[in-house]
Amino acid sequence: MSKNAPAKTADFLLDVHTEPLPARFVAPALEQLKANAASLLAGRVAHGEISTYGTLRHLVLFIAGVAAKGEDKTERFKGPKEAAWKTPDGAFTPAAEGFARKYGVSAADLKPEGGVLYAEVFSKGEPAAALLRGFVPELLKSLQFPKFMTWEETGFKFGRPIRAITALHGDKVIGVELAGVKSGRAVYGHPTYSNKPLTLKDPAKHRKLLRDNLVIAGPADRHAYLIKQLEAAAKSAGGFADLDEDLIAETVDMTEHPSAVVVHLKDKHLLLPADLLKLVMKKQLKFFPVLDAKGGLLPAFIGVRDGRSEGNILVAEGYHRVLEARFNDAAFFYDRDCKVTLAGRLPSLERVTYQKQLGSMKDKAERVLKIAQHLLTENLSTDGEIVLSAVEYAYADLVTEVVKEFPELQGTMGAIYASQMPGSMKFAGAIKEFYFPVSAKASLPTTPGAALASLAGKLDSLAGCFAAGLIPTGSADPYALRRQALGAVRILIEVEGLAVDLEAALSFALEQQPEGTTRDEKVRAQLADFVWGRATSYFEERGFAVDEIRAVRAGALRDLPAALRRLEAVKNARRDPSFEALAAAFKRASNILKQSKGLEREVAGDRARLVDKAELALYDAVQDAEAQVAARVKDGDYAGALGGLVSIKPHLDGFFEHVMVMVDDEPLKLQRLALLARLVNAFKRVADLSEIQTPAA
Amino acid sequence: MKSFQEIIMTLQEFWSREGCAVVQPYDLEKGAGTFNPATFFGALTTVPIRAAYVEPSRRPADGRYGDNPNRLGKYFQFQVILKPAPAGITDLYQKSLKALGLNLKEHDLRWIEDDWESPTLGASGVGWEVWLDGMEVTQFTYFQQMGSMALSPISVEITYGLERLAMFLQKKDNVYDLDYGGGLRYGDLHKAQERQFSRYNFETADTALLSRHFNEWEAEGERLVGLGDPLPAYDCVVRISHLFNTLEARGAISVTERAHYIGRVRTLARKVMQLYIAKAQPEAHHV
Repeated sequence: MSKNAPAKTADFLLDVHTEPLPARFVAPALEQLKANAASLLAGRVAHGEISTYGTLRHLVLFIAGVAAKGEDKTERFKGPKEAAWKTPDGAFTPAAEGFARKYGVSAADLKPEGGVLYAEVFSKGEPAAALLRGFVPELLKSLQFPKFMTWEETGFKFGRPIRAITALHGDKVIGVELAGVKSGRAVYGHPTYSNKPLTLKDPAKHRKLLRDNLVIAGPADRHAYLIKQLEAAAKSAGGFADLDEDLIAETVDMTEHPSAVVVHLKDKHLLLPADLLKLVMKKQLKFFPVLDAKGGLLPAFIGVRDGRSEGNILVAEGYHRVLEARFNDAAFFYDRDCKVTLAGRLPSLERVTYQKQLGSMKDKAERVLKIAQHLLTENLSTDGEIVLSAVEYAYADLVTEVVKEFPELQGTMGAIYASQMPGSMKFAGAIKEFYFPVSAKASLPTTPGAALASLAGKLDSLAGCFAAGLIPTGSADPYALRRQALGAVRILIEVEGLAVDLEAALSFALEQQPEGTTRDEKVRAQLADFVWGRATSYFEERGFAVDEIRAVRAGALRDLPAALRRLEAVKNARRDPSFEALAAAFKRASNILKQSKGLEREVAGDRARLVDKAELALYDAVQDAEAQVAARVKDGDYAGALGGLVSIKPHLDGFFEHVMVMVDDEPLKLQRLALLARLVNAFKRVADLSEIQTPAA
Repeated sequence: MKSFQEIIMTLQEFWSREGCAVVQPYDLEKGAGTFNPATFFGALTTVPIRAAYVEPSRRPADGRYGDNPNRLGKYFQFQVILKPAPAGITDLYQKSLKALGLNLKEHDLRWIEDDWESPTLGASGVGWEVWLDGMEVTQFTYFQQMGSMALSPISVEITYGLERLAMFLQKKDNVYDLDYGGGLRYGDLHKAQERQFSRYNFETADTALLSRHFNEWEAEGERLVGLGDPLPAYDCVVRISHLFNTLEARGAISVTERAHYIGRVRTLARKVMQLYIAKAQPEAHHV
């Protein structure tokens, strides 16, 4: 706050009343409204807390206690050099005069500093009304929507048409005109309740005014209200509402006054697969299924209407009719699908293009089968029949009517249709889980067999797309390769009982890609880097630092579960106060080795060629450490392996204190370099400690 | 309760009072009311337009032999096109529902994000599906682009699905049970059509003839573009678009061919649009 802030303040309210915004636009718009308001007003006018609330039809900004007048300020502008200020006879030069005039000061008032002239311009704070008049359009222009539109002649871009702007500072209207709309004090309630304008006199009463007109304006209030409604409705139907988080979030921003309506179904409706019914309810109609205690479907659902009426009888009738129509549609597709077995669908895969260069789905299935066979060679204890049968049938449901209609049921429907074939019980589960995990946090395949089948599918997608040059850039990732790479990483780390060298598996998958695609060393490296990038974010998510992750890069993809334990070992060792200094010493050693350009690799280390006491001591310590690290790593005890560092530390310090590496005696220099290389390499199987960031020395 | 024909008459009267020219359906088979020249050309230029019309829409692949109570291979849209888009158009739409006898307080009226895109026409728009108690009864679109050009002024297109709306208003579960008016049910007039056209579209259409016609009407369209007459050339676009839909329903088009066919319709549509703008309204280049 500036010292001349007037004591008089008043609340400011901005309500942008729009045609219905898509639900997904609302929360991001409110966040921006708040952040952008704060940054636009910073230093311009004193104010209290900034808050926002809103619905699909109202984006509302409320700023407590906005001062009546903006802040005074002095701005400095850089001008000509001091040498060009005055002529030899002491008059101001035309350049100095011109510069001063430009900023409305006299040349005599210019201030020299560091050989340059400055004009200092003082401006008194504007009245708040004028300031806010400029602020409102600036703020609304700053909002970013996932998609913009234009609708009127000024061509203003926004998420949906703006129909009214309410802007009040205290009881005064802040007059602005934007997108052909003039601001005022009119506020609009729920459109089916009343569309007559209401009059707002005090910004603080805005929320209440909307609430009285059937609009619950606070998203958190609406959320709480919805949950209460859903729970009560489910209870009355004798079950529990399927509280799907995405659907709840969407419903909160899709309604201004959510009211739960229970609708009862006939049992015959529940004959279709439950996953299909749930999807029809949630995805197509935005209804909440009602479940029993075990998660099974009960013959009832809850629709959430926007608005309110006595009993909601007509609404319930309408919901029932529309659900019945959708279920009939689904039944039509399902019945048609059941007329052909999954095996009978395999030939059709030839006619479905996966990608132009990568061939049909049949070609893909054949590659995935080969990759699965390759993975099985490392995992002999896994039931190969499950893996190979699952892979064989995994894509067959893509040509079924239900999956064409509901692509998100791929896998789920495959498992259902598979279980209609004799002898399929064993692998139907692996088909269901073939696309798992379907998102970053979603569940993983539950058995090693399902996991390997799923992994094989992902490896082919990754290798295929990279070979075809379809490498994700920025936000463009049409084949969801980031998700698939992360899925592969999660499977290998979180599903127990798998042993997969991911680097080798990726190379193998790359080799299976068709003629005409690029399968060279460069693509192979790009692919490994890409997968490592996902692994890096996964490890970061689990709380590891970027430098720790970098330190375990070597060999990490060859054994991801080991990489996790190596990271834990590094993180653990880092708690030791001497660790940073040790890491710094390793970095020093690595830097010296970098300068030597690998010359030391030409010589065999030989203790007899060393001379200094300190280097002999280090030699012995490294010799011990090597053996110890090797033994511990063999047992998977990475923490123990790093424990050996403690005994190295004094010798390494002694070495750097007493021994000069880059001496003129070439053979001795090489021996010393070889010793350092041995030291660094000894621990590399756990971590490259020179990657650890240490505070600047 | 309003019969199917009374619903049409009510909407015609409502929009007529709002200053619309009530025009007649355009006499060619088409997949949607947007293909009617009143909309297709109407949205392209800067000249204001207000029009409303019923348009039969043929979707060969959606036919169900008259067996499915909710799906039809041919149905009717009531289309309104307004340019420039009037402020308060969503309120006006609500009023049209009230004119049909709905008390909106007793119903759940929802606006669900649904943008429209026609790669064939290089056209896109922003808007909603309107749900009445969960049933989609209207498509509401602000056109943004046509022929890959940003439009100005912006048109708004309201498309009522007449059968859906009638089923909602008459509380019918089966489209064929709708009261059409004149003592007839919807099924009396349309069931035989649905049955026979489903058979034609899925089973008996002569695909060699259809693809020959596709090629011929495409060539004719190109010729007419060359002669500088966009209106008859546009008829060729509408014809080949429907021929493509029928060939596809008949299963005569493979996945790779499909993209090729769509590309051919698009190419001709773009040429027609460019010609129309160049001929009818040189100032359209300023938009």
